[in-house]
Amino acid sequence: MNGYLGVDIGSISTKAVVIDDNKKIIASSYIWTEGNPIKAVKKVLNNIKEQLEDKNICIIGVGTTGSARKLIGTMIGANSIKNEITAHAIGTLSLHKNVRTIIEIGGQDSKIILLEDGIVTDYAMNTLCAAGTGSFLSSQSKRLGVNVEDFGTIALESKHPTNVAARCTVFAESDLVHKIQMGYKKEDIIAGLCYSVASNYLNNVAKGKKIKSPIIFQGGVSKNIGVKKAFEQILKEKIITDENGHLMGALGSAILSMNNKLKEPFSFKISDSNFETNAQECNKCPNHCEIIIVKKDGKKLDAWGNRCDNGKIAT
Amino acid sequence: MIIILTVGIPRGLLYYRYETLWKEFFNNLNVKYIISDNSNFKILKDGKNKCIDEACLSLKLFIGHVISLKDKCDCIFIPRIYSLEKTEQVCTNFNCLYDLIHNLFPDLKIINYNIDVKRKNTEIKAFINLGKQLGFNKKDTIKAYKMAKEKENIKQTYIQNSAEHKLSSNKKKILLLGHPYNLNDNLIGKTVSNYLSKNNIEIIYSYELPKKYINEYYKKISPKVHWTMNKELLSAFMYYKDKVDGVIVLTAFPCGPDSLTNEMILRKKGKSKVLLLTFEELSSDVAVITRLESFIDMIEGCVYA
Repeated sequence: MNGYLGVDIGSISTKAVVIDDNKKIIASSYIWTEGNPIKAVKKVLNNIKEQLEDKNICIIGVGTTGSARKLIGTMIGANSIKNEITAHAIGTLSLHKNVRTIIEIGGQDSKIILLEDGIVTDYAMNTLCAAGTGSFLSSQSKRLGVNVEDFGTIALESKHPTNVAARCTVFAESDLVHKIQMGYKKEDIIAGLCYSVASNYLNNVAKGKKIKSPIIFQGGVSKNIGVKKAFEQILKEKIITDENGHLMGALGSAILSMNNKLKEPFSFKISDSNFETNAQECNKCPNHCEIIIVKKDGKKLDAWGNRCDNGKIAT
Repeated sequence: MIIILTVGIPRGLLYYRYETLWKEFFNNLNVKYIISDNSNFKILKDGKNKCIDEACLSLKLFIGHVISLKDKCDCIFIPRIYSLEKTEQVCTNFNCLYDLIHNLFPDLKIINYNIDVKRKNTEIKAFINLGKQLGFNKKDTIKAYKMAKEKENIKQTYIQNSAEHKLSSNKKKILLLGHPYNLNDNLIGKTVSNYLSKNNIEIIYSYELPKKYINEYYKKISPKVHWTMNKELLSAFMYYKDKVDGVIVLTAFPCGPDSLTNEMILRKKGKSKVLLLTFEELSSDVAVITRLESFIDMIEGCVYA
C-alpha cells in the first residue's frame, strides 16, 4: 500500500503523520523540537517507523511545512515544501469540509484563516510581536510554578477571572507579579491569562475579520481548554477542537505531497545519516548575507540565504 | 560664491519621489552628482548606529546612505519639505531631515531647498534658491527647472500609462502599496517584488496611480487626509482594489502616518484581499517569504484539491 509522509516542524513542537491513499492517518508522532529540528525529525521518523513496522506501507511522497520546512525538506528529500497557511487549510479541509474559520495559535506564530467553499479567502498572521502565543503562556507558567499543560484545567476552576494586561509579554509579566502580590488566587490569574490570550488574538491577529462558524481551533494552545472556553465566551459561538488538531499542518503537507506528481520512494534509513548545518557569513559584498549550508555525512547537500549570485555555493 | 564640484544624493526617502526632477535639473546645469549605492546591510548598520532607535527603518537607511556618501563628494543634497498642499502636511521626517543630518554631521556641507506651500514657498521658489547655492543666476535656474519638470511629467505619464496597460494583463495582478522609498529599496520592497516577479505576478505600484485620481479616490474612505503622501496611498488603494487580485501593503516600522492609513485600509477593504507586511531590521527574509507564499496560494486558489 502507498503512504505519504507529512512533517510539520514548528518552533516548539515537531509533528509527523503518514496517510494512505484515502487521506486517512495511519501513523502519527508529536514531540518537542527543543531547539534542534534535525534531531527532532530523526526522532519522529523513528517513532513513525516503529508504528509502521507490521504494516506493509511504502512511502512514496514527503511533504514538509513549518518554520524549518526548507531545512528539513532538503534533508529528507521532500517533494512538497509549503507554507503553514496552505498546509493547515488543506489539512483541516480534508476533515471538516465546511469549515469557515481556522484559529491557530502555535508557539511563536498565531494565525487566522478564513475559508469559503473550501478556498482560503483571507488570512492573517501575527506581525512583529509574539504576545498571546504559546510562548507567552509557557513563560508565564514558569513564573507561576505551574505546568503549562495543567493551565486549562486550573483555569476552569476559577469563578472570577482576573484581568491581566496581555498586550505585551513584558507588561503582562509585571501586571502578573502585581496581581500575585495583591493576593489574587492562582486559578483566577490563570483563567485571566487564558482570557487575555483569546482577547489579544481577536484584537490583533483577527482584527477586522468576520469570524463565521464553524470555527476550528488548532495549534498547541488549542489543547488548553481554558483558552477554548475564553474564545467561546467572547465569540458566543461553538468552538470545535479536534484531538488531531495539532497534526493538521502535517496532514496538509502529506496531502500536498500526494497531489504532487513527482514522487519518489522514501526510506527511513535517512535518519541514520549524519546531518550538519553550518552558518557562514559571505563577505563578497557589503550585504554580508548569512548562508546556511546543509551537509549530509560530510557532503554538501544544499545551501541558501544568499541574496545574489556572489554568495552561491556549489553543491 | 562657492563653486561646488560634486553633489552627493543619498538613495533614500525623497530621492525615489523626485529622482527624475533632480537628475535632470543637475544635468541641465552641468552639475556633477553621485548617487549612493543600493541599500545593503552595511548601510543599514551604519545608519542604525548613528540614529535614535525610535526612528523608522527608512530614516535609518537614509542616514546610512549619507554616511556612505560623505567622503565621496563635496556636499550632500538634502531638501526640506513641510507641505506640498495648502491644507496638508508631509511626515515630520521630511520636515526635519536637513536639521537632523546637520546635527549628526556638523562638518558636512549640505545644499538644500525648502518647500512649504502653506507658507507660500513653492517648488519653483525652492529651486531658484537651490540654484543660487550652486552659483547660478535666476534665469538659468528657472530654465533648468522647467526643462527638468517637463521630463518628469513625460516620465510620470509614461509610468501611469503603462500601469493602466498592466491592468489588462492575463497574469494575476497584485497592487504593491507603500511609499516609493520603501517599495524600491533594495532591502525592503525588492525582497517582495523579486519574489512576486519570480512567481509570474504582474505588479502594480501605488505610485503609478494616474495623477488625476490622487485628489479624488481617497474621499471614499475619509473626507480629509492630513498627510499628503498617505492620501496618495489611500487613493491608489481605492482606485485599484477591485481591479487587482490582491493588495500587499508594505510598511517600514514604525511609521506614524502609515499606522493610521493602514488601519483605514483594513477596515474599508471589503472583499479585497489584503496582506500587511511590516519591515523592521530583520536579518532574514524567511518570515516575509512565508507570508508572500501563502498570499499567492490564496489568490491563485488552485492548490486546494
